[in-house]
Amino acid sequence: MNARFTIGKIGGALVTLAFVLIFNFFLFRVVQTDPVSTLFRGRNIPQERLDQLRAEFGLDKPLGGQFIDYLEETAQLNLGLSYQSRQPVWEEIKAKIPATLALVGISSVLSAVIGTALGVAAAWRRGTKTDYGITTSTMLFYSMPDFWLGMLLLVGGAIATGLFPVGGMVDAGSSRAGIGRLLDQAHHMALPALTLTLAYLGEYAIVARSSLLETMKEDYLIVARAKGLRDIKVRNRHAIPNALLPVVTLSAINLGFVLSGAIAVETVFSWPGLGKATSDAIRGPDLPMLQGLFLLFSAAVILFNLIADLVYGRLDPRVRT
Amino acid sequence: MKRLILAVIVLSSLGAGSAAIASTNDQEVVLRVGLGQPWTSLNVTVGFEVSVYEIWNLQYATLTDKSAEDFSTIEGLAESWEPSNDGRTYTYTLREGLLWSDNTPLTAEDIAWTINTSRDQGWTNHVATTTNLDAVVIDDRTVEITSLVPDPKLPTMDVYIVPKHIWEPIAPDGEAVTSYEALDGVGSGPFVIEQYEPEQFVRMRANPNYWQGEPAIDTIVFQIFTNADARVAALQAGELDAIHDVAEESMATLDDDPNIVAIAGYQGGFDELAINGGAAEGQPHPALLDPIVRRAIGMAIDKEAVIEDVLAGFGEPATTISPSADPSWVPDIPEDEQIAYDVAGANALLDEAGYLDTDGDGIREMPGGGDNIVLRHGVNTDSNTYPAIGELFPGWMEVIGLGVELNSYDGGQLFEVIVAGDYDTFVWGWTPFVDPDPMLSYFTSAEIGNNNDANWADPDYDALYEEQNQELNPERRKEIVHEMLRLMYEAGVYYPLYYSPDLQAYRTDRFEGWIRQPADIGPVMFSNTSPSYFLLQPVGGAVGGGISPVVLIVTGVVIVGVIVLLLANARRKRASADDRE
Repeated sequence: MNARFTIGKIGGALVTLAFVLIFNFFLFRVVQTDPVSTLFRGRNIPQERLDQLRAEFGLDKPLGGQFIDYLEETAQLNLGLSYQSRQPVWEEIKAKIPATLALVGISSVLSAVIGTALGVAAAWRRGTKTDYGITTSTMLFYSMPDFWLGMLLLVGGAIATGLFPVGGMVDAGSSRAGIGRLLDQAHHMALPALTLTLAYLGEYAIVARSSLLETMKEDYLIVARAKGLRDIKVRNRHAIPNALLPVVTLSAINLGFVLSGAIAVETVFSWPGLGKATSDAIRGPDLPMLQGLFLLFSAAVILFNLIADLVYGRLDPRVRT
Repeated sequence: MKRLILAVIVLSSLGAGSAAIASTNDQEVVLRVGLGQPWTSLNVTVGFEVSVYEIWNLQYATLTDKSAEDFSTIEGLAESWEPSNDGRTYTYTLREGLLWSDNTPLTAEDIAWTINTSRDQGWTNHVATTTNLDAVVIDDRTVEITSLVPDPKLPTMDVYIVPKHIWEPIAPDGEAVTSYEALDGVGSGPFVIEQYEPEQFVRMRANPNYWQGEPAIDTIVFQIFTNADARVAALQAGELDAIHDVAEESMATLDDDPNIVAIAGYQGGFDELAINGGAAEGQPHPALLDPIVRRAIGMAIDKEAVIEDVLAGFGEPATTISPSADPSWVPDIPEDEQIAYDVAGANALLDEAGYLDTDGDGIREMPGGGDNIVLRHGVNTDSNTYPAIGELFPGWMEVIGLGVELNSYDGGQLFEVIVAGDYDTFVWGWTPFVDPDPMLSYFTSAEIGNNNDANWADPDYDALYEEQNQELNPERRKEIVHEMLRLMYEAGVYYPLYYSPDLQAYRTDRFEGWIRQPADIGPVMFSNTSPSYFLLQPVGGAVGGGISPVVLIVTGVVIVGVIVLLLANARRKRASADDRE
């Protein structure tokens, strides 16, 4: 891969990140609100103390001054203190990353792998019952709102049968550690992960299916068959590798959104992830928390797009030229 | 497809496997409470949600307590107190042998340090009470508290007392205090924090050193279920013993269950229609400055319809604002003096005052002909209730010939609009404390631009506010407060629509002894001092967190199945590898 291509892509990503950094600050201040008044409404706090809190949050300064403070702090990798919890924003976010990463990450990988496999199977047996079965079922799940699918699974898997817990990430009553705790978390994660996996299967299945169908028209496959190769080898050696490019792009873009969480599904299953944290922070508004979360989300999307660009360049040499 | 099935099985078995490993101590009595609102901080100088007051009510005892019956001041950490002649100083005597949960003696030092430090550092949950107070240690069991101004709240001292030996070293200044996570679990109440998983749960264990004795329950788990339906389902399934914040539509279903009691608990919360009184810079429609128009608007509000259609019947029609969780602070307004629902009467008032619809478009104009009277109604989109009322409002106004323009805002934006005075009406709500002073203060002219969201200024109200704030005779103080509320009611700037309840439900087959605070009408939990938990007794030796045998059997079968599948798969792979070789 040539160095100029790589450097160009990385440079582009950095410029985008810098833009996001500046944009984030103003985005949450377009609508004029006073977070201190909102957060402390009806709490019977003397006026002097409220003014003091505004000063502590840096809200007494003009917008320009606040912006300079923000740039200085962010440059030192300091995302500030959350207005609501008064804990460092990074610590708050860091504590919630594993929950989201585990749930959305595992579901993304599962839906990508299973979805692609199903798409390939459907394309290879185009027009058969298998094709119709796969396409219909994956599209059915894909078109359901994910929170509704979640509620259905919740009713079936937790409420009616009692096989899975209704919500949360661990059993709050026990103090297990180690492997027991891990299994407990998996038990809690099964339903939300199943929901997200089913919800996103269709996306991969349909992309993989149409991409493979395109590839199957290519002349080199006819040559491969003419050489007398077995059907399975034609598929696995010649067709799939060439059909996978759009799937790679889709996976990379989706992985970028893994950290943003899944607000609706996290809420249905009381899963303590970043999606939930975002909706809570909007209410204040907890400006430092929002800035931190959006910076992280944007950085993840930019990073994975960059990775997709680079990987794509490697998989398909035509992109680099 | 096979792979999908396998993935599902693996996922389920992983989970089910853990259920099999899960085992709680059979002797432990665990109460599980489900709620929807997570905590942002358990630090008593920072947190603010209803959910966190419940934790502090259990962890930190107060100098004086409040009765479950009617909030009257009763003994707490202090067993007695004596006023000075001028009523500004009280000398409190602590109980003998008080201990923190870590066995450190609890002394007058802890009391004085909490009061004085919270005042100096402006702790947001303490400062309103302690701002004018000074506490002096006389000896280990005696503390003298003096107020700079006459304070009718004394001798009530209901601020959470924190352990000095834990907090003093981490609290050299205000900033250090607020960044403290406060998970030390050292308290003086019936339960103390044992484990906290943010956004998930708080587990509390019984404090054997609690001054009333050790509670019958060993552990309380407060668990977050952000999905209201899941909360209800978990209660029905027995996964939870009690739930807070039940959706109106679930109440009837829960009530049908013989082992569940669903209650509507009142503790003073209300929602109101506010009318811009014109004391801020932005002005209301000029018609609203006329008390007759404001009165006519009040007469056009159908409170019963709101309660039936929006709240599914869970609300009580309101007259004046309720400034306290204790209903005795609300004055009795005789029926013939109430501003009651009367559309014909409202129309007659407006006609008489010269607000006529001269151009026949259905909307009245200012007297003498002029522009149509169209009200800018702010809709707060932070709750489901306010937009629903916002849909009813134009209909109420239409029948008395007033136009309405609906503007939607979230709470923060609406607050800015209110402060600027750029609105005519909106619907929002309040939840009062037990002492009426804070709620009363919100409607003084000093609070315009802050809590006075009706932008209403009345010198008579302000004067009465100052008077009640220094009146040490409780009966006389109540009379003054009643007078203030009547004044506000008559002014027609703030029409409380209904007193809104907390909807809660609990199982009766595992614990008994839930009590309502205040008596008969209040909630059983998330109340002012949360007295239920200490009084709860397990029914017939209820123990916590068991897993049903059915689940265990199913789990076992699934695990065995998965192991067989995995083994089979591995063998097949090996076999095919052999073939290749």
